[in-house]
Amino acid sequence: MSVEPFNRLVKLAARAFYDDITTKGDNQPKTGRSDNRGIAVVVLDALTRRQWVREEDLAKDLKLHSKQLRRTLRFFEEEKLVTRDHRKETAKGAKIYSAAVAATVDGLQNGREGDEKIKLHTHSYCCLDYAQIYDVVRYRLHRMKKKLKDELDNKNTVQEYICPNCGKRYTALDALRLISPDDEYFHCESCNGELVAESDKLAAQEMGDGDDNARRRRREKLKDMLQKMEEQLKPLMEQLNRVKDLPVPEFGSLQAWELRANAAGRAGNGDSTANDPSKSSQGLGYGGTPMPFLGETKVEVAFSGVEEKADIKSENANSPMKVLPPWMIKQGMNLTKEQRGEVKQELKMEGTSSPAELSDDKKTTGKDDVKNLQDEYVKAYYAALLQRQREQEEAEKGQQERSNTNISNGVNGTSSERQVGVKSKRDDDEGDDDVEWEEAPPAGNTGESYKVNDLNVQADASGDDDDDIDWEEG
Amino acid sequence: MFFHIVLERNMQLHPRHFGRDLREKLVSKLMKDVEGTCSGRHGFVVAITGIENVGKGLIRDGTGFVTFPVKYQCVVFRPFKGEILEAVVTMVNKMGFFAEAGPVQIFVSNHLIPDDMEFQSGDMPNYTTSDGSVKIQKDSEVRLKIIGTRVDATEIFCIGTIKDDFLGVISDPATAS
Ligand SMILES: [Zn+2]
Repeated sequence: MSVEPFNRLVKLAARAFYDDITTKGDNQPKTGRSDNRGIAVVVLDALTRRQWVREEDLAKDLKLHSKQLRRTLRFFEEEKLVTRDHRKETAKGAKIYSAAVAATVDGLQNGREGDEKIKLHTHSYCCLDYAQIYDVVRYRLHRMKKKLKDELDNKNTVQEYICPNCGKRYTALDALRLISPDDEYFHCESCNGELVAESDKLAAQEMGDGDDNARRRRREKLKDMLQKMEEQLKPLMEQLNRVKDLPVPEFGSLQAWELRANAAGRAGNGDSTANDPSKSSQGLGYGGTPMPFLGETKVEVAFSGVEEKADIKSENANSPMKVLPPWMIKQGMNLTKEQRGEVKQELKMEGTSSPAELSDDKKTTGKDDVKNLQDEYVKAYYAALLQRQREQEEAEKGQQERSNTNISNGVNGTSSERQVGVKSKRDDDEGDDDVEWEEAPPAGNTGESYKVNDLNVQADASGDDDDDIDWEEG
Repeated sequence: MFFHIVLERNMQLHPRHFGRDLREKLVSKLMKDVEGTCSGRHGFVVAITGIENVGKGLIRDGTGFVTFPVKYQCVVFRPFKGEILEAVVTMVNKMGFFAEAGPVQIFVSNHLIPDDMEFQSGDMPNYTTSDGSVKIQKDSEVRLKIIGTRVDATEIFCIGTIKDDFLGVISDPATAS
């Protein structure tokens, strides 16, 4: 499910095989200045942090000339690491993609509005093909090893035979003439001596022949190379093994991906007030341009939303929404809080309070301006999110069961009332956790405010969950 | 590898065949002369598939024989280095084994037989894996890769290997019957 091990694989492979690849136009002089070795690694690394990405955008992000980037990408396409897609686009088409990006990351929408008047243009997109990368890397290693081993084993070499009596040499190609009807050995044509295979002889007796010395040196060199290869590529092979049984991340074709991402984005908008933390940290980290983060696709889907749309959302919140009866609420449904019969007030509070917190958050990380740090942050953030989501799913199950049993009671209000009660009770006990408490039961789409806390609270969260269930049972 | 090619040959025909079925006689003689032969250049002539054209005959002085230039289509078989062939084992000895793929003879030396196969002498000399699950003996069918060819004017001899992925015994006469 996680893309992280695969990204590590890509990074290792990039450093192992594409470290000194130069992609240069033929007309460019090979001066030191135009030496762009290492670009390939940079590009691959950048792609591990994205899904489908428009190549112009990538070029901008990497501060590369788009021609240079395209050359590199074409090279990787040939190497079967990257899938590319080209299409003629109107401004509208570009927007579909932008929306998809927005759905996976968010932001961007504003920036794109202005591009309305782009003329029909061919745009290229690219994306890592993880399944193929896995195969390509394995195949490459296999070929390397096989080539060295074949040479070492003298495979595919013609066996030579020597007559120990007269020293006459034969090859396996003479075999037909050398067989004798009496025994199972080859015999010398001139003296009828029993021939010995040359390699055996070499082992048995030292030959002062320069030719043989050269051969032995070559063998040693091959052995050395093989050993070095095993040694230096060990991390890569280990990573391959680690990844072996994991499901490969698939983004599908560009169109499919866009559809999916857009749909997910729409679904995610239902409750989103603030995906700000991810947005702000990512946005700042990469010079203000939003990136489709790979992270946990599932998580992104569930929680992502666009700031702008969030605003619309809160406006909509004023108009009454139909409240779904609890028995209609199933796991996996994307519902707004109103639909779940929750209090609007709560939502609004979150809507206003959390961004404030978040922007603080953003500033602090932003000031650091250390990309690594932010990477770490985002990683931890997604990890926490995923964990949170899992816990929530469990909690949700619990809730569902409960609401099913409660149907006879008839009022969905009871459950939420109880929640409120509990919440306040919990507030007294451990102030830190309260946010989580209020979020956990309403399952599915939660406000985002707790996310920020989540990083810090994470450890407590699991413990709380148990409590949660206990309480529900009682 | 098989090829369908056009070859030309000068056929000498005895005057006694000069008659209505001269052409048939010419063709049957051509088949007898050519099919199964080997030329280093084209490989083994497997079968004649058609006559393109028969040129004007030339009467030889003194003998009365007539020489016809005949262009004919035929299927030839020419083994190449790197080619994968299926062959029947004809002889096994300590040095390796011989096999035939149609008209081609192939020798697989013992160092190109997988290391886990040991030579066993006896009535039916063979190469067998330590667990006895795979056995190469006379009449076994093997898939092998040609790693060298020796092409003489009238003879092609190959050496092969079964020390690679997907090579080796493909049917065992002992279990097949
Ligand atoms: Zn000799």
